[in-house]
Amino acid sequence: MAARPGLAPVITGTLGIAAAYGSALLPGGAPAWAPWAMVIGISLTCIGTMALGAARPGRRLGPMVWALGFVFVVLVGCFGAALILPAGEGPGARLLLGLPLRAALVVYGIGLLPAVVLPVVYARTFRALTLDESDLERIRAAGRSAEVP
Amino acid sequence: MIPLVSLLYFGAVALIAIWATRRTRTARDFFVAGGGIGIWTLAIAAMTATLSGFAFIGGPGLLYAQGLGALFIVLPASLTNSMTAWALAKRMRLLGELRGLITVPDAIGVRYRSPAAQGLAAVAILIAIVGYMGTNLLALGLVIDAVFGTGFGWGVWIGTATVLAYSVSGGMLAGVYADLFQGSIKAVASVLVFGYVLHLGGGVGGLSRTILAHDPGFLAPWGRLSPLAALSFFFVFSVGALGQPHVISKFYMLRNPLHLKWYPAVTTGALIVTLLLYFGIGLTMKAEVARGAIAPLLRADDATPQFLLHYTPVLLAGLVFAGVAAAIMGTVNAFMNVGAAAITHDIPIALGRRVSNELFWGRVSTVGLTLVAATVARYSGSLVAFLGIFGWGLFASTLVPALAIGLNWPGATRAGAIASILTGLLVTLGFESAAFFKLYTFPAGITISGLSLVLSLLVFFGVSFLTRRGAGEVDGDIKLAMEI
Repeated sequence: MAARPGLAPVITGTLGIAAAYGSALLPGGAPAWAPWAMVIGISLTCIGTMALGAARPGRRLGPMVWALGFVFVVLVGCFGAALILPAGEGPGARLLLGLPLRAALVVYGIGLLPAVVLPVVYARTFRALTLDESDLERIRAAGRSAEVP
Repeated sequence: MIPLVSLLYFGAVALIAIWATRRTRTARDFFVAGGGIGIWTLAIAAMTATLSGFAFIGGPGLLYAQGLGALFIVLPASLTNSMTAWALAKRMRLLGELRGLITVPDAIGVRYRSPAAQGLAAVAILIAIVGYMGTNLLALGLVIDAVFGTGFGWGVWIGTATVLAYSVSGGMLAGVYADLFQGSIKAVASVLVFGYVLHLGGGVGGLSRTILAHDPGFLAPWGRLSPLAALSFFFVFSVGALGQPHVISKFYMLRNPLHLKWYPAVTTGALIVTLLLYFGIGLTMKAEVARGAIAPLLRADDATPQFLLHYTPVLLAGLVFAGVAAAIMGTVNAFMNVGAAAITHDIPIALGRRVSNELFWGRVSTVGLTLVAATVARYSGSLVAFLGIFGWGLFASTLVPALAIGLNWPGATRAGAIASILTGLLVTLGFESAAFFKLYTFPAGITISGLSLVLSLLVFFGVSFLTRRGAGEVDGDIKLAMEI
């Protein structure tokens, strides 16, 4: 298989998600590790897909690696905390930004933190990693010489 | 007042349609807005196509009924636009530049040099679109009936005629500029409603305390769902976002590919702002019922209408109803365009033919497809709900592996792509039919759309590995677009 950065996390993540689904078919229902396999599988698949899309032959991902690492930690950390922490929801529960702790970690952590980081990293690395004028000129030159079916 | 606001809204859409009709002269104008739109229009149109009426009606209702677990459908919004930008935006736009592509199956066809893969992808898209459009037209009928008192049946036909008029005449050019207008309405309405929510409930904390005193499980991170079921939603709506043709086909329309730099920032911001309504109304209605201010809702989908009726000024209610209509019409218009392109462009190519006048036949097939969807919606009973359920999942399982992974991985093969599309089709249709006819139901935690997506990914990787000798069969210019 032709390897590219991001491919291994996508395949590993897909296998993790498949394992979680497969385990739910077992007699007695999904075991305790199934949600963990799902969390790690989803996180790997998401960051792997982004890395796969950003990767270019001969170029390193550079600072994007830190952003993807951050998102991986946020996803696994927040979902994981929701799985591990005791259910503290009740009339006297302490609130974090208006929500019980576990819910706040999921809603604000996963719902907002990647939304702040990823678009900024995409814009800041756009010319170095994604596209610049010389890339566009190469494409236009190839388009002029390509056979249009 | 509500009918007046809605009439003003429909009038504005009509003006956009007239303007766009005068500028639609070719099939490229009709299907991809002539490839000449700016980044703001692209981003807001993508947001509008993503959020159907579900985000305004079904979503808040689901949150009211299932607790925070319902948020797992929209939480991926923080990731999906960046993920789509890296994995697809540049590649699709460059393929459009190179080959003048206009559809998502086009991209699959040139990537694998396979009319068969292109045709199969088009068939999957058509199957998903009929149900998806049908459910959205039903929702539009409900809204029009609620605002103008037309009766449900007439509401469906009036709504269908309205969206059909601007889609057929102005094509995607009318669609994207209507989306820009409609998306702005949605965002403004959502922010204003969220302001009312916070004012009414004493902030998010006040709402939480009211709910926690009566129903603590509602605010558990998974709500009333099991962790596996909630995470399954997250998987389907995060990775699955890479396979939604009505959204990703819009990348062909961008005038300057370098402006993609701002796509994730604008789209993610617009999406999160608009989803405030989803979160706010579901939470508020639960709190209001919990403290006894209103009776428990008979149907969860009444959450938004009841909130507007009881708690917002009539002008804002009118704006939100217009926003709901906008959400539905924006999605339906995008489906019409993608479906018409599948009929007049992709399937003929798969059969080795080209339609001579794609603009004319594009308009004809838009009318035909919409009438089929509206008829199914109006007269098929529960069939339309069945078809509507699996639209997102069918798009995801048939398109994500071949397109989102395949455009970025040189090791993907034609056989892998075809096998994954077939897997997505057969698994989704087979198990959804079995569930609908009560022949087989999966245990809790497994969603058919999630299972179908993961199986099509595994088949894609597995078959590509087994047929890896065919991995190099890519045209030179397409290879360049995959490497840049």
